[in-house]
Amino acid sequence: MENFTNSVLLPNDLPPVETEKFNRLDKKYLKISFFRILFFAIVIAGAFTAFLILAEEKPSTLILIIIISILALIIAYSILITVLGFPKKGYLLREKDLSYQKGLITYKLTSVPFNRIQHVEINQGILAKFLKLSSVKIYTAGGNASDLSIPGLPVEDAQKLKAFLSEKISEHE
Amino acid sequence: MNKIDLTKPTRQSVKGLVFIFVQSIRQALRMFWAFIAILVIQRNIFDNKFIIGIVLLVVLVLLITHSVFYYLNFFFYVKDGNFILKKGYLRKKIMTIPLDRIQSVNTKQNLVQQLLNVVTLEIDTAGTVGKELKIHALEKLFATELQDQIRSGKKKKMVAEPAGKHGLIEVPEEIILKLTPLDLLKIGISQNHLRTGLIIVAFGFQIFQQIQDMFKEKADEYSNEFVGFISNSNWALITFLIAFFLIISILFSLFRTTFKYFDFKLLKKEGTYRVESGLINKRNVVIPHNKVQELNWETGPIKKQFGIYNIVFKQAVSGQNRRQQLVDAPGCLSKHLELLKTDLFGEDQLSSTPKIYSNSYYFRRLWILYGWLPMILAAPFFYSEWLFYGGAFFWIIASAVYSYLILKKHYFRMDNDQIRISSGAISHEWKQMELYKIQSVEFRQTIFQKQRSLASLHLMNASGSMTIPYINESMAKEIYNYLLYHTEIAEKEWM
Repeated sequence: MENFTNSVLLPNDLPPVETEKFNRLDKKYLKISFFRILFFAIVIAGAFTAFLILAEEKPSTLILIIIISILALIIAYSILITVLGFPKKGYLLREKDLSYQKGLITYKLTSVPFNRIQHVEINQGILAKFLKLSSVKIYTAGGNASDLSIPGLPVEDAQKLKAFLSEKISEHE
Repeated sequence: MNKIDLTKPTRQSVKGLVFIFVQSIRQALRMFWAFIAILVIQRNIFDNKFIIGIVLLVVLVLLITHSVFYYLNFFFYVKDGNFILKKGYLRKKIMTIPLDRIQSVNTKQNLVQQLLNVVTLEIDTAGTVGKELKIHALEKLFATELQDQIRSGKKKKMVAEPAGKHGLIEVPEEIILKLTPLDLLKIGISQNHLRTGLIIVAFGFQIFQQIQDMFKEKADEYSNEFVGFISNSNWALITFLIAFFLIISILFSLFRTTFKYFDFKLLKKEGTYRVESGLINKRNVVIPHNKVQELNWETGPIKKQFGIYNIVFKQAVSGQNRRQQLVDAPGCLSKHLELLKTDLFGEDQLSSTPKIYSNSYYFRRLWILYGWLPMILAAPFFYSEWLFYGGAFFWIIASAVYSYLILKKHYFRMDNDQIRISSGAISHEWKQMELYKIQSVEFRQTIFQKQRSLASLHLMNASGSMTIPYINESMAKEIYNYLLYHTEIAEKEWM
């Protein structure tokens, strides 16, 4: 890297973040995603029924059909995105940084160098507890925007990852 | 005031008693205002003035006792490299901050404090700890001394140089920028009135529409002529409103500028800047050079005429006080800007690197977002009115011009160690940072971008994030890899 020039022409031999090597999330995580959609659907359906019962003027059948089909479309779309987007989600642990990728329509790849991690946390929701999954949250000094959360890890993997990262952090302090 | 011995527990200034007392009266008023209001309104409940007098006296005595106890139990000192603060008499509280964790030591002064010649001292810690420490009534001289001692104490610890060289020679503080009333006038005038004006106009429009609605109801009773008269006077009324609100917003900006930046001074001493300003609420903020995560500077059409820039020093955010961490210096001339840039980033290497612009596809996305999308969404509601087509045409043209301006100003320059990103539409803003201050990097690509091999990059540092939108995908990847590499080999403290 000695003769690294002063322009944006960057060296080609820098290690790239190889997206094909990413670890996928646990399949059980899909269940959590589906449950979220189900919960959303129930809330919407409930609100809609309540509106229909309470409304003084009943809307015409045509409008009803339009609204219901729009809602159905939204839910179908979320299911489709969840299923197709799942293989995209994954994390990659390299020697010096941690990366996470996701997104079918908008692809996002985030990397945090170990020497910028402030602390690591393991989170587990109720459903995740039932499925023996946890998520690992990585905090940096950059505030919410640069924090990284990796969901859908088997509890053991999450703990290992946390232990590994904690060790790396202490090396840099 | 002589040298302060920080190792001994010290109390606040005796005048602080008065301040604490005033504060506690304020607090009491805030807590019991509803109760007091009832007493005042329904005087007949307590006819007996004697009782009221006694109650008042008791409250007063209680407040004074509280103030005295609070004052007597408030100590601060330095021990084993920690700054320690003890306070409270019923519930005691001890706060400890390691000296090398102190991010900055700032002072503030409101009207009461100005009369008493005391200041509030704020000690801010870094990043995630997120707790800050306040001492409300310090003698001004004492505060400056303390500020200096903590600053130099830290420095000695960090540099670990033989004391003989550094310690004895007092480096005088040098004034970089001082704003005169004329400067304040310039700054006030060159604020973004469009934004302020639009908010006020939107507000005014609502009132206007309500008046119109009121008239419309009655209009049915009268002839069509009357309706004609109202809609003709619309234009006059709108013009009047716009002029009126523009003037108000200019006056508003002038007042705001004067209050905030009165007697503004930007000073420099060794590795730190100090900012002093304010009419009623005075502030005094210290910014060590190495704590600056990002330097932003901005100029607009009117500012350009005056040749002034608004400079913002962005420091690490510690959660709650996001606003406070932004220290700005308005009314800088380009020579001041150059000086600050040299201080913070060394000799300018970036200006010789090529400007890399966002892809022109960015224009299309902006145009769709600002122009076509709002128009298409509005169309179902207004398509029957002929005025809509004129308005829509104008809107599409205006948004195209706006998006074009954005595209023209979106570029970045980068070398091994630094990056400078330019953005803006009407105004023009630059952000510059040292690459090793990066906290994390994000690569974003929508499916539409993928088709054209484009991508956007987000660079996060401890004070926020920077965006490079719509650049070549392979270049984005290269930069991504380089930034990670550069940060991972960086040995320097980012804060």
